Amino acid sequence: MATDSDIAYQQDSELRTSIDRSLRHPVMFFFTSGATWLAVSLVLGFIASAKSHAPGFLDGAGWLSYGRVYAAHLNLLVYGWGCQAAFGLVIWLMARLSRKECRNVGIILTAGHLWNLGVTLGFLGILFGYSTGRPWMEFPVAVWPMLLVSYVFIVVWSFVQFRCREGGQVYVAQIYLLAAIFWFPWVFLTSHLFVFVFDGHPVMAAGVNAWYKSAMMLLFFAPVALGVAYYLAPKVTGRPVYSYALALFGFWALAVIGPWAGMQKLAGAPLPQFMAYTGAAATVLVLIPAMAVGVNIIMTIRGHEDAMAASPSLRFTMAGIVGFVTLGVTGLFLHLPGMMKSTQFSPTGYGYEILALYGFFSMCAFAGIYFIVPRITRREWLSRRFIRWHFWLSVYGVCTVVVCSIMGGLLQGQAQEAYKMPWMDAATRGYAYNLGTTVAWGFILFGSVFFLMHLLLMWARLGRRSQHPTLLKAGAHAASPHGPDELDELQAVES
Amino acid sequence: MTFKTFTLALIASFGFPWLMLVVVPFAKMRNVKAAYFTEAEDGRDDVYVPRRSGRITDGAAVYAANGCYVCHTQVIRPSFAGSDLGRPGWAGFPPDQDKPVDTRRETSVYDYVGEKFAQIGLMRNGPDLSNFGGRVERYIKGEHTPATSPEDWVYFHLYSPRAKKETYWSTCPSQRHLFEIVDDYGQGHEDAVPFDAPGGKQIIPSDEIRALASYLLSMKKDDAVPYAINFSRDKKKAE
Repeated sequence: MATDSDIAYQQDSELRTSIDRSLRHPVMFFFTSGATWLAVSLVLGFIASAKSHAPGFLDGAGWLSYGRVYAAHLNLLVYGWGCQAAFGLVIWLMARLSRKECRNVGIILTAGHLWNLGVTLGFLGILFGYSTGRPWMEFPVAVWPMLLVSYVFIVVWSFVQFRCREGGQVYVAQIYLLAAIFWFPWVFLTSHLFVFVFDGHPVMAAGVNAWYKSAMMLLFFAPVALGVAYYLAPKVTGRPVYSYALALFGFWALAVIGPWAGMQKLAGAPLPQFMAYTGAAATVLVLIPAMAVGVNIIMTIRGHEDAMAASPSLRFTMAGIVGFVTLGVTGLFLHLPGMMKSTQFSPTGYGYEILALYGFFSMCAFAGIYFIVPRITRREWLSRRFIRWHFWLSVYGVCTVVVCSIMGGLLQGQAQEAYKMPWMDAATRGYAYNLGTTVAWGFILFGSVFFLMHLLLMWARLGRRSQHPTLLKAGAHAASPHGPDELDELQAVES
Repeated sequence: MTFKTFTLALIASFGFPWLMLVVVPFAKMRNVKAAYFTEAEDGRDDVYVPRRSGRITDGAAVYAANGCYVCHTQVIRPSFAGSDLGRPGWAGFPPDQDKPVDTRRETSVYDYVGEKFAQIGLMRNGPDLSNFGGRVERYIKGEHTPATSPEDWVYFHLYSPRAKKETYWSTCPSQRHLFEIVDDYGQGHEDAVPFDAPGGKQIIPSDEIRALASYLLSMKKDDAVPYAINFSRDKKKAE
């Protein structure tokens, strides 16, 4: 005889299934197109890095010249992969946590295609010589309004779902996602207006641009990644978040500190210097939210090391959180006033950006993708080996890129500061490290090919038809960390 | 925490730094006050007009479109932020037989005149360009120079950065996709670069390269600035 709790469980599971089914197409669209752009961006990153120590490599064609390829590489990493992965994660997590089916699939898909059209135009624009030359805003000027409009029509429904949610609970993950939904348009719209539309001082336009890059990392990619981590860590281990107070502290620390960061790129430029050094101080202080989140997630997972070894999502989550803590520590060392002299114009800045975009955000995004895709396609991942290759190649590659860029950058920066030595000394100091970066991009690209192939197979509904999730440990099926009872209530902050 | 308090707290925590770092400084820097020479300090009494000549607008567009800012900066930092002032030829030149004044100084707020966006730059894989024009004027007087006019030196460098003896180690990408190959008539084009083209043709700079060269050569630190905004260590008042 069915008891009340059995019936409640049955209804709950039907609701989750219908939410997953309603979001199947848009979420898979964002993940697969994002992963495709990621592969393109990695190829370009490899080419750009190779050109930095071997300028004759693929020389002579305008569309493959270093400056254009480098710009296209970072813009695709941000708008092609990063933003689209974030959209997929936001709309799925928000629907699940608010317990609402998505009723606007057509509009989201249309807006998603518009976003991809914008990215394609921007990508071709950069390669064929129409780049605007503003870092991370290199897409030709006509593209950014397209991106903003599509953003609104992709994400506004998640906000509506949150406002109409049933049950009245608020989860930590929702707080982060809401904040990301709120910060992105403000940062994106005002920065583009100040840089492209309003007539201002050229140095101030450069300042707003530097602030924009930092705000995108700390106020969009970071909260989405943390939302995923705060969803997955309790979900997969089956226990509540270690400390809600610490979670809220970490969130508000990021909200208060993050918006001040960014203008340290203009230290010494003719602009009020409090702006540059406040930016440096804020970037140093990002260590505070990073430590809060790090402690909280690690304490949540503690005692479930088996689950971490077995579950792809938990493993990637852990890697992403370690990436965030490393980002905080790196930010501290690279932005001390004495260090900034030699780090301001050396490849350390690139290392810091890749750490934020790949070592932190992308790792958490992969975690989310490995968790979500089997639920919406109703198939399990095909190959344990593919996941493992993707994980280790990504971790190994991103560590090498970051270490090479930052170590090479520190040495090159010291050579720049040694003003009595010939310039050749500074210009050639980073060769060996640039070579290491190139090799590491190759590893990441290789790993990402496994990921893209695997994802496309899942998209084609060729995944395994099974009740058992694909785990990274043989024989772990009996003690599945994913279930059987998936209760979202585990992470309620307040009811 | 209700939704209302959450939203208000987000607006406050984001809006305050946004106003302080973006909106107010942007509005204030729209009208930077002019600097004046004064009788007491400079021995003259007029307004400082930042001078720069060349194809700034379209040259800057070519500079931006080809990503020159990835490896080249355009800022000389004061000594608290870096040692750019000490690097020979970057910040200006010490007094010599050509010019008896010290033109070395850090970048001022007037130096980006004519541009929409100050290309501060991302990395220094190549040298700073704040005084590029000044340096090229001296390079062409050197021993191994490949050219006799500043423009020709820049065309040569952009076509083949590693072909000169003094920069054989450079990683600067060649911009030869911006050059044109045309038929060689009579004495040849006066700006043709000294590299071989197939079939009796010659290689000449396109309009984009001309604009870029003009823009690059417009970056010079050779003017006298008022005492009040001259931050050079050895500045002297007029007698």
